[in-house]
Amino acid sequence: MNGILLGGLYAVIGIGLSMIFGIMKQVNLAHGELMILSSYFSLVFIQLIGLHPLLTLFFVFPAMFILGYLLQGFVFNRVLGKGMEPYLMISFGLSIILQNALLLVFTPDARSLKTGLIIQTLDVYGLFHVPVIYLVDFAGGVLTIGFLHLFMKRTYLGRAIRASADDLSASKLMGINIKKIYALATGIAALTAAMSGVLVGMTFTFYPHSGTQYLIIAFGVVIIGGMGSLPGTFLGGLILGISQLVGAQLIGPGFQLLSGYLILLIVLTIRPQGLLGRK
Amino acid sequence: MTSNRIRLIIIVLCLIVLITLPLWASRYIVSVLLLIYLYMTVASMWNLLAGYSGLISLGQQMFIGIGGYTLAVLSIYYGVPIFLGVLSGGVISVILAVLISRPVFRMKGVYFAIGTWIIAEALGISFSNWGYVRYGMGLFIQPAYKLSMSSIYYAAMILGVGSIALVYLLLRSNLGLALMAIRDDDMASEAMGVNIFRCKLTCFLISAFVTGLAAGVLYLNTIFIQPFEAFGIGWTVKLLFIVIIGGLGTVEGPILGAVIFVLLQQFLSEYVGFNLIILGTITILTIFFAPKGVIGTFHEIFLVELFPIRRQ
Repeated sequence: MNGILLGGLYAVIGIGLSMIFGIMKQVNLAHGELMILSSYFSLVFIQLIGLHPLLTLFFVFPAMFILGYLLQGFVFNRVLGKGMEPYLMISFGLSIILQNALLLVFTPDARSLKTGLIIQTLDVYGLFHVPVIYLVDFAGGVLTIGFLHLFMKRTYLGRAIRASADDLSASKLMGINIKKIYALATGIAALTAAMSGVLVGMTFTFYPHSGTQYLIIAFGVVIIGGMGSLPGTFLGGLILGISQLVGAQLIGPGFQLLSGYLILLIVLTIRPQGLLGRK
Repeated sequence: MTSNRIRLIIIVLCLIVLITLPLWASRYIVSVLLLIYLYMTVASMWNLLAGYSGLISLGQQMFIGIGGYTLAVLSIYYGVPIFLGVLSGGVISVILAVLISRPVFRMKGVYFAIGTWIIAEALGISFSNWGYVRYGMGLFIQPAYKLSMSSIYYAAMILGVGSIALVYLLLRSNLGLALMAIRDDDMASEAMGVNIFRCKLTCFLISAFVTGLAAGVLYLNTIFIQPFEAFGIGWTVKLLFIVIIGGLGTVEGPILGAVIFVLLQQFLSEYVGFNLIILGTITILTIFFAPKGVIGTFHEIFLVELFPIRRQ
């Protein structure tokens, strides 16, 4: 049960990565750092104004959207159409920079976004207990993915983004400004990073170097589900969440991450494009 | 032919200076050069994969960890002679590479990068949960205290010079020709009878072996091995920096990159915290303004190569 709820959180962690891959066929290795950066942003607002972590999203969302937009506009767009390696390496360099900048500013101490939710549990008919925070995570995950799905289907911008993902040259001919679309898409991916960063911060403790760990989770989700597929991402999150908790139950808590990695490697070997991914 | 002779003289002169170095240079200079050799070795092996075989691996640290731990376990628990331990580190790395080669070669491009990275992470977690190697606390390689600085220096030098020579000879061989054909057009080269799988596998195994050896010598110098450091992604960060700055897909690139990296590291060690930020920034700027690295840009401007791999 907790595995399923955790899976909802994992799905939001993975969704930004999946989007960027689906749209630009690129892999953003700095996604985990963008997430942790949002956790720290939220922390700053909590300490400055004393807001509830979820309310800080009103500040964290615009900040991260602008950051994502500018990153794509001024950094990543410069290596557009030069293959996979430059993007991969730039995002990697960026993740190192962000990680160490966070380390400088916030010191390596463990932080968390404190709420009362963390200690409350919900009793389900006396069968088992569910931590309320996991329910919040799951709801956040479902909401984010639902919104994104509607956005992509219903709005002009969403359609333009999907068009440029499907056929780059045709959408250019139709008058879509690719660079701007890409910048907006990265901004939206940064929004999902903000959402997952705040949820993770409320659920677990985080450090400046936590980004790597969540990047790997994001990869897990995306690879299991299939790059660029929204329902696949959700499924991937569930599978990864469940397999981690099952692994921890069967072998021991030290193996929670390991069992997730093993599932991931198995899927990578058997079906590299993911369960619901297109070739 | 005169340019060939000049090239040979330059190389021989450099070698003479480097061989006699421990006799006249200070301990500090020797230790810096030792690091340069080792980074050069590991970087040129990564370059062989990323620059010539199109295999961007983010998991070379798995061989560093395996090489280092093999040395540590064999020399501490079984009293195996140290350099035999280093050699076994290379052999075990090759065995690991063979074991994972089937699954990882099914992955293409970015999936290969992620797959190798996850294997390295999984190994790091396994080692930190393994009582035999004292969990995450790590191992002290005490037998290495007996070694003198100059013997580690010569071991590192053999690896450094040997790996450059190896890459150079490999690329001049039939394998190098096949690799270039694959890089230019993999479909066409396969149709002409190039066995892509075997070519890439050969490079992968060679790079695993040499990286495992270099890891052994590296930990002779460091003395202390710990799973999250040995299997950490930090190694790949360094390799990426070295190869990108020096020049991806050039033989000289990793040499120059390693020199720049180690000197920069010595220089920046006073500014703890800032050094990785600066390294990351330099990497990104290099990709923007000199995508072929210092050496690649130099080749383009002056049309001179120290190690030409093309056939005239």
